[in-house]
Formats: sequence, structure tokens, C-alpha cells
Amino acid sequence: MTTETPQKGKILLLATLSGGYRGADMVGQGHMDYPPNTYILPVMSSAIFPPKFYIDAFEKGFDAITVMYSGTDSPYKGESEKTAEIINETYEKMKELNLDLRRLRLAAICTVCVRPFLEEVQRAESLLEEIGPLPRPLAKQGVAANVN
Amino acid sequence: MPEEIVNTQAQNPKEDEPRIGVYVCNCGGNIGDVVKCEHVARTLERLPNVVVSRDNMFMCSDPGQKMIADDIKEKGVNRVVIGACSIFLHEQTFRRTLERAGLNPYLYYHIGLREQVSWVHHGTPKEATEKSIRMMAAGIAKARNMKPLEPVRLPAHRQALVIGGGVAGLRSALDLARRGLKVTLVEKSHYLGGHMAQWERVFPTNEEARPLLKRLIDQVLAEPNITIHTGAEVIGAKGYVGNYNVTIRQTPRGVRETFPNEQEAIDVCPIKRRKRFDFGLSTSKAIYRTYTGCVPESLVIDWETCTKCGECVKVAPEGMINLDEEAQEFTVDVGAVVLATGFQPYEPFYGEMGWKEFPEVITLPQLHRLLDDEGPTQGKFWWNGHPVKNVAIIHCVGSRQVEGVHRAQPDGNVNNYCSRVCCTASLSMASLIRQKAPDAKIYEVFEDIRAYGRGHEDYYTRASKNNVTFLRYFAEEIPEVRRADEKAEHPLLVKVRDHLTWGEEIEIPVDLVVLSVGMMPNPVQDLMEIFKVTPGSDRFLLEVHPKLRPVETAVNGVVLAGTAQGPMNIQESCAAASAAASKVSALIEQAKVELEPYVARVDPDKCQGSGECVKVCPQEEAIELKTFSENGNTFQRAVVTPANCNGCGVCVSACPNRAIDVQGWRLDEYEAMVSAIAADIPAWEGAA
Ligand SMILES: Cc1cc2nc3c(=O)[nH]c(=O)nc-3n(C[C@H](O)[C@H](O)[C@H](O)COP(=O)(O)OP(=O)(O)OC[C@H]3O[C@@H](n4cnc5c(N)ncnc54)[C@H](O)[C@@H]3O)c2cc1C
Repeated sequence: MTTETPQKGKILLLATLSGGYRGADMVGQGHMDYPPNTYILPVMSSAIFPPKFYIDAFEKGFDAITVMYSGTDSPYKGESEKTAEIINETYEKMKELNLDLRRLRLAAICTVCVRPFLEEVQRAESLLEEIGPLPRPLAKQGVAANVN
Repeated sequence: MPEEIVNTQAQNPKEDEPRIGVYVCNCGGNIGDVVKCEHVARTLERLPNVVVSRDNMFMCSDPGQKMIADDIKEKGVNRVVIGACSIFLHEQTFRRTLERAGLNPYLYYHIGLREQVSWVHHGTPKEATEKSIRMMAAGIAKARNMKPLEPVRLPAHRQALVIGGGVAGLRSALDLARRGLKVTLVEKSHYLGGHMAQWERVFPTNEEARPLLKRLIDQVLAEPNITIHTGAEVIGAKGYVGNYNVTIRQTPRGVRETFPNEQEAIDVCPIKRRKRFDFGLSTSKAIYRTYTGCVPESLVIDWETCTKCGECVKVAPEGMINLDEEAQEFTVDVGAVVLATGFQPYEPFYGEMGWKEFPEVITLPQLHRLLDDEGPTQGKFWWNGHPVKNVAIIHCVGSRQVEGVHRAQPDGNVNNYCSRVCCTASLSMASLIRQKAPDAKIYEVFEDIRAYGRGHEDYYTRASKNNVTFLRYFAEEIPEVRRADEKAEHPLLVKVRDHLTWGEEIEIPVDLVVLSVGMMPNPVQDLMEIFKVTPGSDRFLLEVHPKLRPVETAVNGVVLAGTAQGPMNIQESCAAASAAASKVSALIEQAKVELEPYVARVDPDKCQGSGECVKVCPQEEAIELKTFSENGNTFQRAVVTPANCNGCGVCVSACPNRAIDVQGWRLDEYEAMVSAIAADIPAWEGAA
């Protein structure tokens, strides 16, 4: 096994190719540092993920997820509304599992949103510092309720 | 609407068993100085289905690409995972590599190790290396599930729409037409040429602007492929690249054509209005001609101020003037759109360096009109009925603004960009003033002189030799303009801390202050919404990539030309316009377009015909339930029309049976990626 550096937990950033993913590239082009426990996956559209996808990702090992979608700037009609709807549904499922709702966040990040990108990463980092990684498996454990 | 040609998911049995090639790029140290690329490659070679895993100094170089191609041919690699710079830079490069080696180009996944790992984790190389392994492992997990794809091929109208009839729009239209494409040119105002028509003469050649512009306009008019609509705006559009159906609204001109007693019709008009063409320095009647020689040439009615009193109708030949004409709406079918909507000069705030507070403060565009032989003073350098003896031109008004020092625009941002043309434009005006008023005292009050183009520096040299006095201010302490004593010879004083004389505070008495205002984009919120294009933080329209795809927007088939995209001079506007025309003609000239295959695809074995996808789909006619029968059973299944699907994926999360996915970005691929990032990674024995 590679030795894993002790970390606060893993953060998954689902970033749209027309928004947050380019924003992340801009942060890179500016050589601005942020912690390496962040894993960015490019997505065409944030609307494809059903609630189960998020719950499974928490179960598999992610401790915080931020969906960096394009918000009202999305090139896809209906994407932002549908994504918001799914996130709300996911919150309901998270409540059932006693998961802190702050672990899942929806943030509009544009192609040049350097500062907002870094702020989102920082927000997730601070959250994990505060509440720590998720104990697993989720359902059996009954994770401490800290629902906002 | 042209008939759809084809969209199928390619089938190739040889590509079914995943044999993955993994390639980690050092990017000449950009990645390798932080991430241990060899370690990453060695670690990943142990993962299932990986048949080869390599690192290389430059994967995008010819030898790098050859390495991949050789592995495809010699080692039977049929899936490729590359960790390198941003996906936006080299995705096409590597797709072509696969294609050349005979592999479906979509059997490739790219991870941006440079922008998203090495450049953001400088201080933590160990963690950056581990993160790279995980991200690449995710790519490998996706690659195992990848299927070959074929682009969506659609028929396209060999016709383009150019929005904006300034120099950029005209240039684009002409280039497109000369390539044999039909062009519809839509111009909002009632004349062609945009701002260039308002300038007296233009750098770097010092040619008179309007005759130069007229040469271009004449070529456009002579081109049978171009249809021009002035007084027109786009108010809606349906469709997609290759097949836009655009609705245009045209305001009537009110006047059919030129006629002999035009002046009489003008004279009888009782309305006076500020003349926009002269930036408010003069007035015209509500029936007016924009400028002598404008195209179209006939008079035009200003509907905002016209009271329809009918006096002009009475004196004009019968049927020549129609005050009851209504706006018309019509549609055009086009394959692509060029946005050439241009700029507007920065409008200073009340009191900003005396703007509107003192009538002796004007802007650089107004100075152009003032010095124009056809302008309000017939080219005399006079103000308020007197010759101007002392003039100060203050640079960088509305450009290079500093947060906290300058007042922000309504969106909360200051204009922190350089407007690029104002320095040379100001210097060229200084030379013209010197010609018209040899004894005038001319002061150029500048922050920096940015005379960056070929021949531009000559204007600076010439002005210096021509006794123009230069004073340099710093952005933190902008010049002040105030009223001089009543008895003073010159009505205004410009106070400036001059950093060419070691910060000395100087007060210059002047008759006229010229604010060298910057450029702001024309407000085109409506077009942004119609065509789904986005602005940058400077509010100008945004290209996909400033270096690699400088005139394309993120929307297929919508390109940018000229100052709609950012401050440019005429030469740059024309260069961008020609580039935009090339992009459009390359896209639609074959009467078909190829689109990424990222559209919804239904798995007929899983689909139960619930219809949820149809209910949630936001696109028109992208998905429908169709009735099928097999062995005497009738059932319904969802069917996608790829041409109408934009891959938004709303249907994916809605399907209760997971029967629908967006090709190339499937949910099971994401699930595999998430598992791979979270999983333990086998160690490489050689690890230090
Ligand atoms: C004071 C000043 C002096 C300058 N002097 C020089 C010089 O000497 N040399 C030089 O090289 N450059 C000079 N420039 C720059 C030059 O003016 C620009 O490069 C050029 O005008 C840009 O052309 P354009 O077509 O991009 O935009 P514009 O000239 O702004 O044309 C845009 C056109 O689009 C139309 N439009 C806008 N919105 C819509 C819509 N929604 N629908 C339809 N039509 C629309 C407008 O009516 C306009 O006709 C100067 C600029 C300034 C401000």
C-alpha cells in the first residue's frame, strides 16, 4: 500500500466543463495553492447524478462533495434547476442517514471564478477540520447529527 | 429543417476487451518538478487491464505521440489514459493521435495533472504524486468502461448570420461571402460602419476613416451573397449549430430612398434632437442623415423624437416618407453566427474629472467629431465659440481602474483592463491638433504610454517633437479638474502630480479637457441569452481559450469578431473578424457539421417506457416515446433524436431504470471513477 498522508478527509469536486472545471484550470494557471485532498472530476452536466450517486460517494470514501455547476450561466437549459432539485432530494436522504448536510454543497462557479473556487475549497476544508471525516459504513454507524 | 444524417455508437469487437495504455507527461518539468511522474507510471502499471504505463518529457511532442501510436499498433492498446496539461489544450491533439493509429478517438481520457495538481500543490510533492496516482486510477477505471463513439453528423445551412455591421462585422461578412457562403448581416443602427465612421482619421496610417471604410462597404455591397438589414436586431433563435432559425425585427427607416428636396423636408421638421453620431455635440432634426456618404444613404426618421406631425411628408415626393410604417419580423435559417456587436466608449460618472460638471470637459470620441471637417465646428479647433489655446488630454479614463480608487460599474467591478487603443488615438489627435492649431499648448496627462503596435510609437515620437508636453500621474492619485478663477484667462485647471518631474504638483490652465475614455462592450445581454454565450469578468464576450481558440465561444457555431470580445484597434478587429469567418466556413461550408457524440442514449434492454425522461427533457423534440411491437407484444420505448439533444443529462437522473445515459459521460463511468479515487493503491516496489 502507498502510505496515505493523514488527511482531514477526501473532498470530491464535480465541476462542469463549461464552468467550475475551467475555473479550476484558471486557479492552476495562477499557480494558487490549495490542499491536495481535493479530487476534481469534469462533468458535462451536473444534472446526471441521482441522489444515490452522492450517498454512494460518501459511502465509498468521500467526506465532502461540492458540485461546482455553472448555475444560471449553464449552457444547458434546465441543468441548474434539475441539479438543485436533486441536491434537495439528496439532503432528504442525508437526513435519514444523519449526515451533516454541509458535506454536500452546490456552488455556481464560472470559467474565471478563481476566488470563488478557492473559497469553496477552503469552505470544505474548514468543514472537515470542524467535523472530521465520515465514519463508515454510513447507515449502520449513525453518524453524529449536526444537521443545519 | 435539413434531414438528420447519422448518429450511432460505433461497434468494434476488437475494442471490447480493455487494453489500457497509461501515459504520464512531465510537461518539461511543469508537472515533473512536483509530481514524481515515473513513480505514478510505475504504480499504475499494476492496475488491471493496464498493458503499458509510461512517463515522458512531452507527451504532446511528436515522439510522445508516436509512442502512443506505436503502443496502439504494436501492443494492442485500445484505451488511452493521459495525464498532462489541461484537457482544453491537447484533447484534440491526442484524439488525432489515436485516429492516426487506427483507434476510435473517443477511447481516450485526459487528466489535467498540470493545472489541477502540480501547479496548485507546489509545496506538497508527496501528496501531489499520490493525488496524481488516484486521479489517473480514476481515468483507468473510466477507460475500462469506455465505448467507441462516433460524432453526430448533421446537415448544415451554408449560410451565416453576422450580427453587427461595424468594421469587424463587415470584414467577416465579406470573407464569408467570398468563400461562397450566403451571409445575412444584421445592423442595429441605420448605417453601416460602426464607430470607425465617427473617427476623423485613423492610426497607424493616418488615413481618413470614412473613405477607408467606404472601400470595405462598397465591396460588401457588391457581393451578391450578402443580404444586409439595417435598423435590425435579433430577437430570438431556435436550433443549434448548422441549423439556427433566427428571428429578426427590423425598425422601418421611414424614408424610401434619397430624393431631390431632402433639405426642405429636414428644414420643415420642428423637432431638434441631440445627434448621437456627434456624441451629443450637435443637434439634428428628427428626420436626418447620419453623415454625408453614409450607407444606406437615404434620410432616416428618429422614432424616439418624431411626433409624426407630417410636415416632412407634405414636402417630400409622394410615398417617399411613410410615418406609419411598422416594424417587421422575419426569420432566417443559418448554420452559424458571428457576434460582432462592438463596443461603446466609457461614459464617465458625473463629476469624474469634471465630466458634465464643466462644459469644457469632453471625451476623446467627441474630440474626434470636433476635429472632423464634417463635424459640429467643421473641423475648427474651437470650443464655445472660441479657438482652443490650451488643451489637456487625460489618459486612462475608465480603463486600468483600481478597486477602491475608482467607482465601480453597476456589476460591482471596476474596469481594470487596458483599452489598448486610447494611447495611440490620443497621440494621433495631439498631432492633428498641432496641425489645426499650431500655437496651441497641448498636454498629454498619462499613466503609461502603451503605443504597442507597428507604427504606433511614431505617434509618441512625433508628439514629443511637436512640443506636446507630457505629464505622468500614478493611478492612486488621479488628476483633478477644477474651475479657475472667474478672471482667469483659461476656464479650467488640471492639477496633476507629475512623476516625470519627481512628483511635483503642477496646475495646468486649460480651455478644454479631453478625457481619453476606454472601451466597454455594447450591452448585448439579450444576445447572450439567445445564443447562450457568456461574458468574461470584464463583461466582454468570452472566447473558449484566449490563445488556442481565440474567436470561438463555448457554444458550437457561435464565434466572436472584433471589439465585442475586448478592446482592439481596427487592424486587430479585422484580423479577428477574418479568423471568425474562417472558423465559420470551416464549420459549415461542406453543408454538414460534426458534433461531439455526447448526447443521450437509451439502452433498449433496460428501458421500460416509463416516460420520465420525456417529461423532464428541456429540449424540444430531443426524446419521445415510440411504440414498438415484437412477438405480438406492443410496448413503448424512449427514442432520442441526437441532433436535438444537447447532452444536458437531465433525463439520466430522472430514469427509474437507469436506462439512459449521456454517451461519453456515463453514470457507471463516474461510479467507477469515484470508487477508484477512494480505493487503496498498490505500491510500486521502486518507490523511494
Ligand atoms: C476614440 C477612439 C479612437 C479610435 N481610433 C482608432 C484609430 O485611429 N485606429 C484604429 O485602428 N482603431 C481606432 N479605434 C478603435 C476602433 O474604433 C475599433 O477597433 C473598431 O471600431 C471596432 O470595430 P467593431 O466592428 O468591432 O465595433 P463597432 O465599431 O463598435 O461596431 C459594432 C457594430 O455593431 C452594431 N451592434 C451593436 N449591438 C448590436 C445588436 N444587438 N444587433 C445588431 N447590431 C449591433 C453597432 O451598431 C455597430 O454598428 C478607436 C477607438 C476609439 C474609442
